[in-house]
Amino acid sequence: MNLLDEFGMDTITLAGPLEAKLAAMTDAGFAQVMLSARDVVGYPGGVSAAAAAVKASGLRATGFQVLRDFEGLSGHLHQYKVDIAQAMLEMCAAMGSKVLLACSSTSRHATDDPEAIARDLRKLAMMAVPLGIRVAYEALSWGRHVSEFTTAWDLVSRADCPNLGLGMDSFHVFAANTALDAIEDLDPERIFLVQLSDFMWQETPTFEDRITTARTFRVFPGEGVHSEALADLVLRLDRLGYRGDYSFEVFNEDYQQLPLNVVAQRAKRSARWLAESVLHRSAPLPRRSMSSAC
Amino acid sequence: MTQDAKSREGVPEQPNPLMLEGIEFVEFATTKPQALGQVLETMGFCPIACHRSREVTLYRQGEMNVVVNAHPDDARVTATHGGKPVLSAVAFRTRDAGRAMARCIERGAWSATSHAGAMELCMPAIQGPSGSRFYFVDRWREFSVFDIDFVSIPGVNPHPPAIGGMGFFGLVQYVGIERSNDWIAFYKELFGFSFVPDEQRFGIMPKGHLMRSPCGSFMWQLVEPDAWALEMDLEPESLRRIGLGVQDVSEVVDKLKARGVGFVDNASLHPGDRGALTRTQLGSVSFELVHQPQP
Repeated sequence: MNLLDEFGMDTITLAGPLEAKLAAMTDAGFAQVMLSARDVVGYPGGVSAAAAAVKASGLRATGFQVLRDFEGLSGHLHQYKVDIAQAMLEMCAAMGSKVLLACSSTSRHATDDPEAIARDLRKLAMMAVPLGIRVAYEALSWGRHVSEFTTAWDLVSRADCPNLGLGMDSFHVFAANTALDAIEDLDPERIFLVQLSDFMWQETPTFEDRITTARTFRVFPGEGVHSEALADLVLRLDRLGYRGDYSFEVFNEDYQQLPLNVVAQRAKRSARWLAESVLHRSAPLPRRSMSSAC
Repeated sequence: MTQDAKSREGVPEQPNPLMLEGIEFVEFATTKPQALGQVLETMGFCPIACHRSREVTLYRQGEMNVVVNAHPDDARVTATHGGKPVLSAVAFRTRDAGRAMARCIERGAWSATSHAGAMELCMPAIQGPSGSRFYFVDRWREFSVFDIDFVSIPGVNPHPPAIGGMGFFGLVQYVGIERSNDWIAFYKELFGFSFVPDEQRFGIMPKGHLMRSPCGSFMWQLVEPDAWALEMDLEPESLRRIGLGVQDVSEVVDKLKARGVGFVDNASLHPGDRGALTRTQLGSVSFELVHQPQP
């Protein structure tokens, strides 16, 4: 058991080709990677070659992202999104990932009817069953009708499928200013993924603020102004019994201009902060050699 | 009355949403159709017809149809199972195949592409575990789907009787670790299967979770690998075994033994009044006899 085993990086955080990103992550000591469809489809040789590259890296796929704007549509829009979802699920399976991240819809064409949204999420979960995939539904803080994890959890509960769970993202929790007390109402077995990042200012009052910050200026846990809240969030999840993966989803335009190993080292520093100073995970004891044992 | 009005009054959905009425046929894919045919014949199945355009043979005994599909495009799936025969499809009898298909697609099933050639029957199908197919068939009373695509083998009784009254009892599906609940939800949502409590078991292979079809005419068993055997048990999710219902297990075991069928018989598993398991042939083919009282 490595101290960093429960943490990983998102490929979207790093610039460059997929193999360079994977190498930077393994060199930094990470054991898992959250894959973005963009990194996969743009890979020379296509999806199967990308899957081979991930396998060769030794990194485990934390999950695959991201299906957008799936739920709440009707007619031809719904059918179009079903086609997209099937393509995403096939890629997710091909990459050896067991989790597909689906973000709450931002579409103005999407209904706010919770029964319809739950029905669509249930359909998505059923589509994922034959492929052995779990769907993590995440509330975008600028989602049209679902912008907080509490609402997302209500819908996941209403849909009631064992392979449909919650994806949590600390950025959206802080941006939407959702009270962390609500974490206690979650079932830890139904949290399928936790993505962590912070940002550099306290308030993001408008959806436009949230979108701009989210896409250009996230930072690693411990680097932003919500470190205490982020530590609180992680500790609450740990106390709740969450034992799944944490991945660093850090969209940052500066990091896109830095050498990959520099950014990966910042991620490693963040993982160590969480493991040692927040969660107080014990470092594995060095194995005694046979000669010293005798 | 509109759909909304029904929901408002909380009227429960019909218990058999696809109007299922049993199993029309089960299909094996194999690159060794002769060898598999021999196994089926020792079990009492007779070859009665061949497909008009594909390397496919229909075996029958009593009410049961078993299709052996050796068409190269279809048999290729066996490569992912070490070259062993694979249970590649189950065809469900339903009152309206098109409606059953549409309902499944509406609820998240994946459509399976048709293999039908010119002038051949296009049976609606959805994808099952590991590339298998679930067909929907609504022409089985007045005439059979086999009447269209298959040519009878001359001089063969097209309706060979079943040994000891054997009939389809159900299917056994192997699933991944902690995957039973996903599949239970899938079969409930799409097919209306109901969960059978653990206290209620049939035969001598009680492991896993059991579901019953809404028509009540067959069972569906889900079996996960043992947690301690995970590193050794790398078998992909698949349809694994056919269960055959019989009234008198001992009588059928004796008759099948006389035909050369071997049964698993050791300290932990042996033929009894509740059931029996045939020895695995060709690396993957076995049948489970299950005691089924006369209705």
